[in-house]
Amino acid sequence: MYDMKAYYESESVQHAVELRLAHPEAHIIAGGSDVLVQMREGKRAGVELISIFMLDELRGVTMEENGDLRIGSLTSFSHITKNPLIQEHILVLGEAVDQVGGPQIRNIGTIGGNTCNGVTSADSASTLHAYEAIVELTGPEGVRRIPIKDFYLKAKVVDIRPGEIQTAIIIPKESHENTHGFYIKYAMRNALDIATNGCSVNVRLSEDKKTFDRVRIAYGVAGPIPMRAPSAEAFITGKEVTMENIELFAQKVLEDINPRDSWRASKALRQHVAVESAKRCIMESVKRAGGVL
Amino acid sequence: MYRCRINGEDIRLLGEPTERLRDVLYRTGYLSVRDSDDAEGFAGSDTIIFNGELKYSNFILLYQAEGAEIRTAEGLLKGRELNYVQKAMISAGIVASAYNAATASLILTWLLEKNPYPSREEIKEVLTGIFIRDAGYEHYYLAVKLAIELRDTGAYQSEIAPSFRPKLEVIGKPVDKIDGAALVSGEPVFVEDKVPANAWCLHVLRSPFASAYIKSIDVSEAEKLDGVAAIITAENCPDVYYMQAGQGNPEPSPHDRRLFNRKVRHVGDRVAGIVARNKEIAYKAASLIKVEYEPTEAIFTVEEAMAEGAPLVHNGPVQYNAGAPDDLEEFNARAGDEREGKVVYQFPLHANIQKNIAASNKGHIGDMEKGFAEADEIVDVTYQTTQIQHTPLEPHVCYAHVENGRLVVNASTQVPYHLRRICSWVCGIPENKIHIIKERVGGGYGSKQDILVEELTAYAAWSTGKPVYYRNTREEEFIANSTRHPMRCRVKMGGKKDGTITAIFMEVCANTGPYGNHCLTVPMNSCSKTLPLFKVDNMGYDLKVFYTNTPPAGAYQGYGTPKGTYALMMAMAELAEKLGIDYKEMVSKNHIEEGYMLEILKGLGEGREGNVVPVGSCGLEEAIAKGCEMIDWGKKEVSEDPDWKIGKGFAMIMQGSGLPGLDHAEAIAKLETDGTVILNSGGADLGTGLDTISAKIVSEVLKLPMDRITVVSGDTDSCAFDTGSYASSGTFFSGNATLMATNNLKEKILAEAALQLEEAVEDLDVRAPGEVYSKKTGASIDYYKLTHTATSGTGRGQMVAHGSYVTMAASVPYGAHFAQVAVNVKTGEIKVQKFYALQDAGTPINPECALTQIYGAVMKSIGHSLYENMVLDRDGKCINANLTDYGAPMIGDAPEDFKSVLIDVDDKDGPFGAKSISEIACNGAAPAIGIAIHDACGVWVRSWPMTPEKILKALGKI
Repeated sequence: MYDMKAYYESESVQHAVELRLAHPEAHIIAGGSDVLVQMREGKRAGVELISIFMLDELRGVTMEENGDLRIGSLTSFSHITKNPLIQEHILVLGEAVDQVGGPQIRNIGTIGGNTCNGVTSADSASTLHAYEAIVELTGPEGVRRIPIKDFYLKAKVVDIRPGEIQTAIIIPKESHENTHGFYIKYAMRNALDIATNGCSVNVRLSEDKKTFDRVRIAYGVAGPIPMRAPSAEAFITGKEVTMENIELFAQKVLEDINPRDSWRASKALRQHVAVESAKRCIMESVKRAGGVL
Repeated sequence: MYRCRINGEDIRLLGEPTERLRDVLYRTGYLSVRDSDDAEGFAGSDTIIFNGELKYSNFILLYQAEGAEIRTAEGLLKGRELNYVQKAMISAGIVASAYNAATASLILTWLLEKNPYPSREEIKEVLTGIFIRDAGYEHYYLAVKLAIELRDTGAYQSEIAPSFRPKLEVIGKPVDKIDGAALVSGEPVFVEDKVPANAWCLHVLRSPFASAYIKSIDVSEAEKLDGVAAIITAENCPDVYYMQAGQGNPEPSPHDRRLFNRKVRHVGDRVAGIVARNKEIAYKAASLIKVEYEPTEAIFTVEEAMAEGAPLVHNGPVQYNAGAPDDLEEFNARAGDEREGKVVYQFPLHANIQKNIAASNKGHIGDMEKGFAEADEIVDVTYQTTQIQHTPLEPHVCYAHVENGRLVVNASTQVPYHLRRICSWVCGIPENKIHIIKERVGGGYGSKQDILVEELTAYAAWSTGKPVYYRNTREEEFIANSTRHPMRCRVKMGGKKDGTITAIFMEVCANTGPYGNHCLTVPMNSCSKTLPLFKVDNMGYDLKVFYTNTPPAGAYQGYGTPKGTYALMMAMAELAEKLGIDYKEMVSKNHIEEGYMLEILKGLGEGREGNVVPVGSCGLEEAIAKGCEMIDWGKKEVSEDPDWKIGKGFAMIMQGSGLPGLDHAEAIAKLETDGTVILNSGGADLGTGLDTISAKIVSEVLKLPMDRITVVSGDTDSCAFDTGSYASSGTFFSGNATLMATNNLKEKILAEAALQLEEAVEDLDVRAPGEVYSKKTGASIDYYKLTHTATSGTGRGQMVAHGSYVTMAASVPYGAHFAQVAVNVKTGEIKVQKFYALQDAGTPINPECALTQIYGAVMKSIGHSLYENMVLDRDGKCINANLTDYGAPMIGDAPEDFKSVLIDVDDKDGPFGAKSISEIACNGAAPAIGIAIHDACGVWVRSWPMTPEKILKALGKI
């Protein structure tokens, strides 16, 4: 039995907002695979929860008229992976969230939960950063949309204001169009393990596939929150698609990232892996974009 | 109340809206929905199909099930008939300890409904969310294949496992495990299923300090709570010193603890036991207990333990029940604080608690100095292994209650009789007043050889009169249970240019943690089950075991052998490299063969003089030859991706088949009044198939069909004494006891038949399907008629026979494990591409279960070699005491090409030629992988776990 003081069920987004205002101390629970784990064996005893579980309108992936992809916050990992729009426009995101746990977790865990817990190792986080996703929050003042990089404030803390809930993640057309990405989760084991490093890269090549028109790279577990590698991106944008440039790009990420030592892995290992993953991710992205190396 | 459809039936579920659906389903009678991880979302025992999707029911709250369509394994049955997947799982040998086998059958059935012909990848994918620790994952692929065949053609087309001994009917052939149906269908067969709703809960308050005296403990507030029956602490517990190791009496482990002590010695040590009406009250009571600790300096490594002036883990007076040294009084005069308690030895273990030494031993054969002087090259290398937890899917659990003036204990144990003895000591009641019922064991692997929760649960029930249920949390499994001893093994080995080894010296320092369970014998095994692989005249060993303040260590499948084998084989490979000769050549030059006299065993008894015997049946050479052929030894493999380097390695392995001169097994065979047989075996089936072995032996001897034989085992009231299932003794000892009992029963049957048929006994024999016939006259009488007449009121009575087996024979299983690994020199990643486990198990009585036991053991040891490791922080607290962080391997970590091969060797002492199978299978992975890593990238990884980080460091990449 979970030890909770109160549990409120939202009947609509508006109701959820009201509940949030009425119970400012309460935590939001979506699928449950994070919050309930944290509440085991009497931990976080006496917590209040606001559930948004029943809000089916927050489930599903749609394409807006302007070509933006809209992923409802309660969409489960498995539904994202299986979704045809995701497969067509942002395959790498489906692949990334397919690396969360086993099928039983991926049928429960949601992309909203994965981002709102603010954890740097979340499998969706690096790809969403690399695609400059927009986080949609609905609150008493209405809808607020912010870039995902501003959403993550510090480790385990995100920018959800009083009365707000996250309602969608949006991938703007400009971000996913003509863009191909690749994600590498580096973990100690092959399944059900937490990432030692997560690296997501996407590229847009010139028409002749010879030049990097745009390259974006983001990491999980390279710092307290997911982060981009701006020096590396700046270096390679506009450059020719060559192995030499790729090698330099990968080395350049060390100027941007700041992983730490922990019992799981040393800083040195994480840095080394970040470079190797950057290289492999960009190579695979180039291949997906039709480029030749 | 919530309405939903479960397995096609409208069901109303009662409970609090925010209860875990898992708990409600279980309570409602869906017993197949179990919990192995306290709702961590790792082990998958709680998987259900919820609105068409696989989900962990621990993460669904009851109210969310309103209107839902739910499926559990119970829905797979038609009446008592299993579905095709469940049948195939039993046949494939994967229904072993089976705590989540029913759940797995649901997952696979769901897969086959959606995808009638899934690929290997698709099967793998669907099983990524379920943790299988017993049988490994390999035969899950076979089970799916068999299920498809059964579904499509009504019969199996594929071979399940090779068959042995063509002249025998059931022995050496795959035959469905006799407890398979009960296990895979989710019947109430585990301890937790026997707990009534009115049971009280036992909760243990544990120490936050690694080392501290309890200055004071005030339970008065907690005791006042309604629903608290008792609070047991060091102040009111019995003043009985004992140990928790399930070993033969007198035990080679010190009696160095009571139920509760006035000094706590590790984070998680017991401080108080609370018996309360439910968990909530127990937690509340725990929070009201005021404990004042006086922390003392703690030590965690053998280096810290042996340092000059190190703090002492035990520093009270010592006592000897036999063999006290002359200076005992002097020694005890130096004892410390009286809160230290005392240490009692059954006989000397060469311990010195004033130096933190829990036990020691040393010895040698030949002339070490001369041996090393003759060497052309010498290696002197140290290898370190880590603290590993067994992680059985079913945690340690016990239910005890008082009935008719007796203490009844439902236990998940490998050692019912040792358990009874220790409960008898602790509770202060004689053994006839205690009834131990061994239920099905949902995973033991050695951790259930120890009496870690039962003695406290039993005492709680006996002292309060309440029915008491106790279950470890997963965290407690790590911090307050039993683990593999971390060991530092130094090997000095000398060899000549032609590869002849001239001398081997092993120096072993083991860390037993705060208490001495198995402290002498586990480290001894690192030498006694490794050095006898070598035909070397000069061999020596020196081992010391230290007390520290880590979580406790104890028995773990393989005992000390995996660590000794890792060190010894790695050292030999290092020496081969130095000598410039092929490792295989060196192995071939130095390994023993049948008939070689094992002088080294003299000093390696379990606390007494060892038994020098020649090598018996031995499939070692064949295992090496066949394995080398399978893996194409000597051929350098090259990957298409230049970052991946490929290497090969192998290791020789051995174990025992029980402990000659120490182990003991009994069985009673009864011919029932309709000619069927009930066999009462003292042996404890851990899911390995021991009961099936017993039934097969009866069937083979009496020529009686399997379904006319019932095995009752591990029940101390109805069965006779057996030391238990450990040290690889099950098949050999309990099997031989069954064979003796059955042979004796056969004699009685023939004698009775001779009287009834009026023929001479010499002319009679038994034949299928259970009758006696005369070779002389052709007359026959079936068992029904025979026993019916014997029990008719004027007959000579029921035919009941007894078998009691002890031996000095050592039937040693041998084998060789081969690995091919790929190492990515850029990222350090290690992939086990191939793993071939070749073992000589004598006659494998259940060949399909023999194979899955090997797969399971290899998977565990791959985990130990590459991933698993309990990490302690500076204060001795385990920071990864959960399944996700701890790192046990799952299906994604299994070798891509994984084969087990049974080498056909007949043994003269084993029942029908059988030797042991599963412990030995834990010994090969670490050295085989370690040697292969070196072959791949030139790095010797001399400590567990062998991580990318260690490889990249050695390669100078980080």
